[in-house]
Amino acid sequence: MRDILKMIVVLTLIGAASGLTLSAIHRVTAAPIEYQTIKFVKEPAVKKVLSGYDNDPILDRKKIEVGTDPKGNPVTLTVFPAKKAGETFAVAVEGTGKGYHGEIGVMVGISTEGTILDIGITSHSETPGIGSRVTGVEYTDQYKGLPAKKGVTVDAISGATYSSKGVVAAVNEAVGTVATFREEIF
Amino acid sequence: MATLREEFTKGFWRTIPPFRLVLGLCPTLAVTTSGINGLGMGLATTFVLVFSNLFVSLLRRFIPTQVRIASFIVIIASFVVIVELVMQAYFYPLFKILGIFIPLIVVNCIILGRAEAFASKNGAVMSLADGLGIGLGFTLSLFVLGLIRELLGAGTLLEIPVMWASFAPFAFMLKPPGAFVALGILLAFMNLISQIQARKG
Repeated sequence: MRDILKMIVVLTLIGAASGLTLSAIHRVTAAPIEYQTIKFVKEPAVKKVLSGYDNDPILDRKKIEVGTDPKGNPVTLTVFPAKKAGETFAVAVEGTGKGYHGEIGVMVGISTEGTILDIGITSHSETPGIGSRVTGVEYTDQYKGLPAKKGVTVDAISGATYSSKGVVAAVNEAVGTVATFREEIF
Repeated sequence: MATLREEFTKGFWRTIPPFRLVLGLCPTLAVTTSGINGLGMGLATTFVLVFSNLFVSLLRRFIPTQVRIASFIVIIASFVVIVELVMQAYFYPLFKILGIFIPLIVVNCIILGRAEAFASKNGAVMSLADGLGIGLGFTLSLFVLGLIRELLGAGTLLEIPVMWASFAPFAFMLKPPGAFVALGILLAFMNLISQIQARKG
């Protein structure tokens, strides 16, 4: 009986000590982990669509509530502001659209004057060599300088109509978000 | 009674893992596709090994024999999670490459093996020396193995191209079978050196 008690006590103590330590470490590392994850996943696209900033858009990211999901939980969207001398002059916002195979994620850089600076594809699973051509600069450069208003259109890539439409839908979603939540974003 | 120095240095040749102690082959074969990856994996394992050895040795009088394996695993797993969180927070690219092999350090036979065979029978200082020695030995092995595979498989050393221009990378070396081949060749060389030493001595 004494042995069993001892086993229980020792294992409980070790487990509790381990749990306490890990929760403390988790608290310390949670913020850097979030930063790193966003940095390595989104930064290449953010860098492509924004330029001439002197801040760290990833560090200055803002979360805005864009609505609620069917369960009533808030849905947040992360925006990446580009600042010069402390003044926000553009933001990068991600939108998604339905391509030929699943969702296409597109990062859109939008200036405060309301023009699209550039777009960058963050994620897609389009057919390699066909639909994937939407990630090329020949296609994405078409968006440069267009007014950031709903109803953005560009020439589709022949043979990749669905993928092109997906990108257009994603860009329009991002543009729409910025238009709706202008106050909070800038 | 072995001296502290012996306990520390035995990990570099006499019982160097994974060659002499043929343990921990899973991370050895899986992640040594480049020198840096091998080094990162080795150092992560060393950290876990040193601290698990220390704590197992400190707690060895309180842990009942019947539940020792469970206690060791909890201690090891805690340190593995610490490594995982810290690596994710500050060395994200390495974390991405090592991926699933970081959590798998928990079941790395070297660590449980040292806890069971050494730390649970020896004092804290000796166990620290043992953990550090074996850990650094493991790091050295993974680093060398990674360098060889990187050199032959990609023509680079620590990501710097070193081979002549017409060198065609031997991609097979970066695949798991290549790891076995490289490991076998290294082991053969080590045995050869040992034999020559034995003949001299």
